[in-house]
Amino acid sequence: MGMKITLEQNAAAVTECADAINDKFSGSGISADIVQHSNAKKYSFVRVVTPPQHWQALAKCMKFDMGVNYCSMITGTHYPEGPDERGWGLAYHLLRQPISNQLPDTSTVYVAEKMLGSQIPVEFEVLIDLPNNDAPSVPTVQHIWVGADWNEKETWDLVGIQFEGHENMFRVLNPLDSPDGFHPLQKQHKIRYHDYNEMYDDAQGFVRKPADEGRVK
Amino acid sequence: MAQMWITMGPQHPMTHGLWTLRVKVDGETVIDTEAELGYIHRGVEKICEARDFTQVTPYCDRLCYVSAMTWANSYIYAAEDLLEADVPERAEYIRLISAELQRLASHLMWLGAFGPDIGNLTLMTWCMRDREMFLDLLQELGGSRMHYNYPRIGGVKRDIPIGFADRMIAKVKLFEKRIEEYEMMLDESTIWLVRLQGVGYCNAEEMVEAGVSGPNVRAAGVNYDVRWAHPYSVYDEVDWEPAVEKPTSVKGADCYDRYRVRIEEMRQSCRMVLDAIEKIPGGKNTNYASGDEMIYTKAPTRAPEGATGFSNYECTRGASQFYIEGGGEGRGKKPYRLSIRSPMFITIPFVAKTMIGYKVADIPAIMGSFDPCIGETDR
Repeated sequence: MGMKITLEQNAAAVTECADAINDKFSGSGISADIVQHSNAKKYSFVRVVTPPQHWQALAKCMKFDMGVNYCSMITGTHYPEGPDERGWGLAYHLLRQPISNQLPDTSTVYVAEKMLGSQIPVEFEVLIDLPNNDAPSVPTVQHIWVGADWNEKETWDLVGIQFEGHENMFRVLNPLDSPDGFHPLQKQHKIRYHDYNEMYDDAQGFVRKPADEGRVK
Repeated sequence: MAQMWITMGPQHPMTHGLWTLRVKVDGETVIDTEAELGYIHRGVEKICEARDFTQVTPYCDRLCYVSAMTWANSYIYAAEDLLEADVPERAEYIRLISAELQRLASHLMWLGAFGPDIGNLTLMTWCMRDREMFLDLLQELGGSRMHYNYPRIGGVKRDIPIGFADRMIAKVKLFEKRIEEYEMMLDESTIWLVRLQGVGYCNAEEMVEAGVSGPNVRAAGVNYDVRWAHPYSVYDEVDWEPAVEKPTSVKGADCYDRYRVRIEEMRQSCRMVLDAIEKIPGGKNTNYASGDEMIYTKAPTRAPEGATGFSNYECTRGASQFYIEGGGEGRGKKPYRLSIRSPMFITIPFVAKTMIGYKVADIPAIMGSFDPCIGETDR
């Protein structure tokens, strides 16, 4: 029979993590909440909101004190219409996974229902708002999680958010000779066909839309 | 010895797709590597910002052309988180069955491509033969052989056809015997063992640190699996256990362990679908009409600004994740931002670095054992 982490285990672990963050960083602008997913089994995760200047301190605490060992995803978003304090958003998705090195010919076989305390897998979402200007930047966590390395490269390449202190930054998905300052997921770049009706009207792309004129080819 | 750079790819059998591995060699030994990706970057994330939530599903199918069903499911769970949709239990069972059949087909595609890399051409023909069985089953569900567009926000497109259950049981039982044939052929083949054992070691902590997930980590001795750690669908109700392999060295799992763990995963997928089809609510030989409340619940089509959806899904190559922000064009009909986390995008640069210290001839074995797929990597 299959197994799963129960809702009680999940609630206990999530509460413990959120409280630890709130206790340690009270008064610094960092706050952790418990949020429930509304899909699948309705599990909860920890959502942390932090100002950019405290992000590295928070990351070190998560990695070395709380055992958050997996940086799975970094999402950058551009809000050109946003208020002055929120022109760009960053969402980091991190996981705590109970994985350790094994001796030869041994393996760890967890039984989900019997896992306790810091073994229980937890999902974290860290949100950072950046001010509305032309040069968004945030401290890097490349040296804290190796997995953040290529995620940060991708976020810079596609969205254009700078990661201060990131070593060896280069374009990973766009062509290496793309013009400086071209980051396609910024909202001023429009795709050629914005709707399927347009696509049928102009299947060959002979008639360019006015919105395309500022587009860097 | 003179050192030089060799460029492998973008058209090289080792790459299993379009990307370039630049290798610095000292004689026959690899001393440095660089991965270059992005050859088939289509900008799916940007395209999806101009599509409404149901129109996104076909693009997610096309992220990985050998594992379309799992990627579409992965998106659907994120969209359901965003739109707060409910899913009937029968639809969850059908999703489980479709995803596991896809996992079988995908692992067979991997084994079929990996065999010729190692020098076993028979394996390719056997795997392609058996993969047809599962493609036929998936075609019965989705109507197509590769890109099914099958799951819907709030359920699935249509119910399993009458007779599907019997055909599936027969094929899966046949395939369980075929797995034994594969093992007989491979585990006693000297070429197979010599080229895979003792090559491409990586240990578990190193892989987790670097962001590697899924079967590659389970090969290093821990049974961590998204399907029980962050549960979705009905994996807790059907009979299975996560595949796990005992690594043979302190240095961690080698290519042979990664091959073994995928064989074991195929066994577990067979076990899962055989159990799920018996337990499916509403009966295995009933066919509800499309849109029936047994298989579909109508979901909202608009998401307000500030709403977010996230899914963590055990895809065939590791954890695939979607993050969606609502409040896009058309008063929230389209996503404002849709972000895709591909397991192989993180894994390929890591694997490139693990090759350092091995011989040039080991590169296809190491790379192939991680199951690269460039469609999802470049997005």
